[in-house]
Amino acid sequence: MFMRQVAAIFMKDLKSEWRTREIFTSMLVFAVLVVVVFNFAIGADSELIRQVAPGVLWVALLFATVLGLQRAAQMEHEDDCLSGVLLTMGDRSALFIAKTAGNMLYLLLITLCTLPLFSIWFRINILSHIAPLSVVLLLGMLGFSIIGTLFSIITLNTRTREIMLPLLFLPISVPLTIASVYATANLIVGKGLSDITDYLTLMGVFDIVFLVIALLVFDTIVEE
Amino acid sequence: MRAPRIYNVVYAAATYAIMIFALWGVFVYVPTEQVQGIVQRIFYFHVSSAFTMFLAFFVVFVASILYLWKRLAWWDHIAASAAEIGVVFCTLVLITGPIWARPIWGTWWSWDPTLTLTLVLWLIYVAYLMLRVGAYDERRARFAAVLGIIGFIDVPIIRWSVEKWRTIHPKPVVIQEGGTTGLPSSMLFTFLICLAAFVFLFSYLIRERVSLAQSQHELERLRHDLDISLLR
Repeated sequence: MFMRQVAAIFMKDLKSEWRTREIFTSMLVFAVLVVVVFNFAIGADSELIRQVAPGVLWVALLFATVLGLQRAAQMEHEDDCLSGVLLTMGDRSALFIAKTAGNMLYLLLITLCTLPLFSIWFRINILSHIAPLSVVLLLGMLGFSIIGTLFSIITLNTRTREIMLPLLFLPISVPLTIASVYATANLIVGKGLSDITDYLTLMGVFDIVFLVIALLVFDTIVEE
Repeated sequence: MRAPRIYNVVYAAATYAIMIFALWGVFVYVPTEQVQGIVQRIFYFHVSSAFTMFLAFFVVFVASILYLWKRLAWWDHIAASAAEIGVVFCTLVLITGPIWARPIWGTWWSWDPTLTLTLVLWLIYVAYLMLRVGAYDERRARFAAVLGIIGFIDVPIIRWSVEKWRTIHPKPVVIQEGGTTGLPSSMLFTFLICLAAFVFLFSYLIRERVSLAQSQHELERLRHDLDISLLR
């Protein structure tokens, strides 16, 4: 029953996104734009580029995440969709899980599309590290989606929602940003998963702790 | 529920007295530290502010949990007041820190784990205050409580991550740790007095701030009732 509810909401979101492709397009264009702008800001020093590349990648993905979360939450706000969905639900955490899964899917797709461009522009061979890198990406995206989904629903109901989401989302996810950037940096210079277990543990702990808290408090956020 | 006036006056007087005593301790009683010189005296204010800041954010955390559990506006007033005061003390830490660091470390700022953590905490709790701008409203109180809980639970994780992050870069300067265990007894005594003064100040401020919040809440309720009765 619970899984069916999760699946139903998840599919509903995907269907509406498939018809407009609004969130995906804006996130992707924005992420690419950030990478390009950073490229101009850094200049042509290839050693410097190698050093800052992981940071640039994650900043681009983070900013795109904020944009996408805003859009996804906004769509739910229009015509008061959220209240409608909540009325039909027995267990509200199904809504949270479906939303988090949806946001994570957008993020992974954006990453998948940004990585080749990033690899070409920054002259970094991503393909040879793709297996360990995908572990880092998955753990990172999961955490960003959990925190992001929670805060996007909170800020949806505040007056200055456009500015409040990044103000809450970015400082809270500082540990995840640090771990993601440095895990990626280590993998790019040729280290393996066993060299970055500290960062992976950190990301895992972050994901689990905030998933549990999010599920505990989600009811109090959406109650009327 | 409100305490009688005389009690408040006594409380304020006691806070004032212990603050004067702490000032005497820091500027007159305690000897000047030999290596660092006169600037080391800022330690008493700096560390006491940091302690009070953590105390304040811990109060936000506990009050937030109790608010979500009991749903009494009073807990929300406490969380809001503690967050405001916590941000003030956090700002003090971030101001006194560089003043101390400049002559000792040779730089205004270093991305040392403790400094970084304090800065991130400042950002989180400023965002917390921004989230709750405006009049008391039950939904906003719930949102703020969620942030108050998440923000505090994030503290050890942030600390862990910035520690990992700093091991990437060597420390640019030699950092002299002012641990309390190594303190001579006169310094420890002064520090404890200063700490007591800050905690007293914090408890005094929070009492005043909560009573203000209660009055505001009451005023809004009365105004609301008045509007309704005028509409009839």
